[in-house]
Amino acid sequence: MAMETNNPMQCSEFDSLLSDALDLKLTGEKLELFQSHARSCQNCGPLLTEAEQGQRWLKSLEDAEPPAQLVNNILAATTGLDTVRLRATSPAQISWLDRIRDWAGVAVGPMISVARQPRFAMSFAMVFFSLSISLSLAGVKLSDLSHIDLRPSAVRHSYYETSGRIVKYYENIRFVYQMESKVREFKRATAPAAPAPVEENRPRRRNDNTSEHPGLKEDRNYSQGPNQVMLASCPQNRPVAIARNTYRRLS
Amino acid sequence: MAGPRIRSPQTRSTGECRLEDAQLAAMLVRRCIAGDAAAWEEIVQRYHRRIYNICYRFSGSADDAQDLTQEAFIKMYRTLSSYDVERGAFMTWVTTITRNLLVDHFRRSKQERLTDSLDSAPSEHEDAMPLGEQIADKAAPPDSKVQSREVGEFVHGALQKLSPDLREAVILRDLQDMDYREIATVLKVPEGTVKSRINRGRAELARLLQRTYKQVM
Repeated sequence: MAMETNNPMQCSEFDSLLSDALDLKLTGEKLELFQSHARSCQNCGPLLTEAEQGQRWLKSLEDAEPPAQLVNNILAATTGLDTVRLRATSPAQISWLDRIRDWAGVAVGPMISVARQPRFAMSFAMVFFSLSISLSLAGVKLSDLSHIDLRPSAVRHSYYETSGRIVKYYENIRFVYQMESKVREFKRATAPAAPAPVEENRPRRRNDNTSEHPGLKEDRNYSQGPNQVMLASCPQNRPVAIARNTYRRLS
Repeated sequence: MAGPRIRSPQTRSTGECRLEDAQLAAMLVRRCIAGDAAAWEEIVQRYHRRIYNICYRFSGSADDAQDLTQEAFIKMYRTLSSYDVERGAFMTWVTTITRNLLVDHFRRSKQERLTDSLDSAPSEHEDAMPLGEQIADKAAPPDSKVQSREVGEFVHGALQKLSPDLREAVILRDLQDMDYREIATVLKVPEGTVKSRINRGRAELARLLQRTYKQVM
């Protein structure tokens, strides 16, 4: 809003000329009108001052220095180039990964060289083989392990679920045994009284060679061997067993 | 009321330099499209600093600026054959690509900020206090330390407080020295709008910084 009546410049025109004025592109009468409006207008005067100050602040900013490896990263990301010249221009920097690798090489290297000996290698292979077989027999799959939820709440939930399943299993088994015993008792109670089994009709077992009369063997001479000859008859004396091959001299 | 101060012209490139740059860029692009890897390397060497500075001043973060610069060059490399020398300067084309990436990044980070603000309580440092109170007053006159790193950080911080429309306009004009027509092409708005945004951005920045140095200004 122009305050002076003799200044024909309006605020909108002042605003459009502000950039040109700050770029020093206004000259002659237009510049005079512009400056006159800035002096007289309460809105446009402070605006000019602030815009000028802001421009100076911005011009005072220096270029930020890009990271040294930025060009290498760009070339590697676009063309995969990592030229010798660029490596020469950029300062040599050892990454943390390389440092860790060097440190690990010094610390773990001797152990790895020992482990690489054939006997240890065979032991490790056998252990690995045993473990893999045990896990496969137990039904454990590595793909399942990745789905395991190890949060405390999930572990607690799994524990309660498993224990509940076990208790339920044993309750079911007990119920089945109880039912079986009840059925057995019921059968025993409802079956008629059967007569005692007859001995003659009892079938003999297959390898049963006994006479089933142990009293008949009372007089059997168990000291007599199977190769000894029995005399045909000896009415007055008791039968004498004579050995067929004897080296004893009779006196 | 003092009039506009005279700016030293030697710090800015001339139209002839621009023409030479445009011709050189067009030649490099042709060689690059033909499969010359050295030409692409030359393009990266020539423009990475400029693109990095645009990204850094807009995003406010060195890490984000590095990622965005890399993204800009990757996009440039993939679409280099679509660049038409007759339609505009190579620098304008490159800046347009960068600006589009910055807008995308701003939208993403804005969404993240909104999510964060829902999760956490509002910070007094960011929301309640104006910039002038956030920045500790060291009681040093700005003219004496205008080139100092501290002042640069203050201005950089104040720049982040501007709205994205004003911020990108003043960055392209006052930090990258692009002319109004090029800025209008990049921002896809009329030249009048560009000038208005630049003026409002400069004035807003000065007001923010005046609060910091109000006792000496």
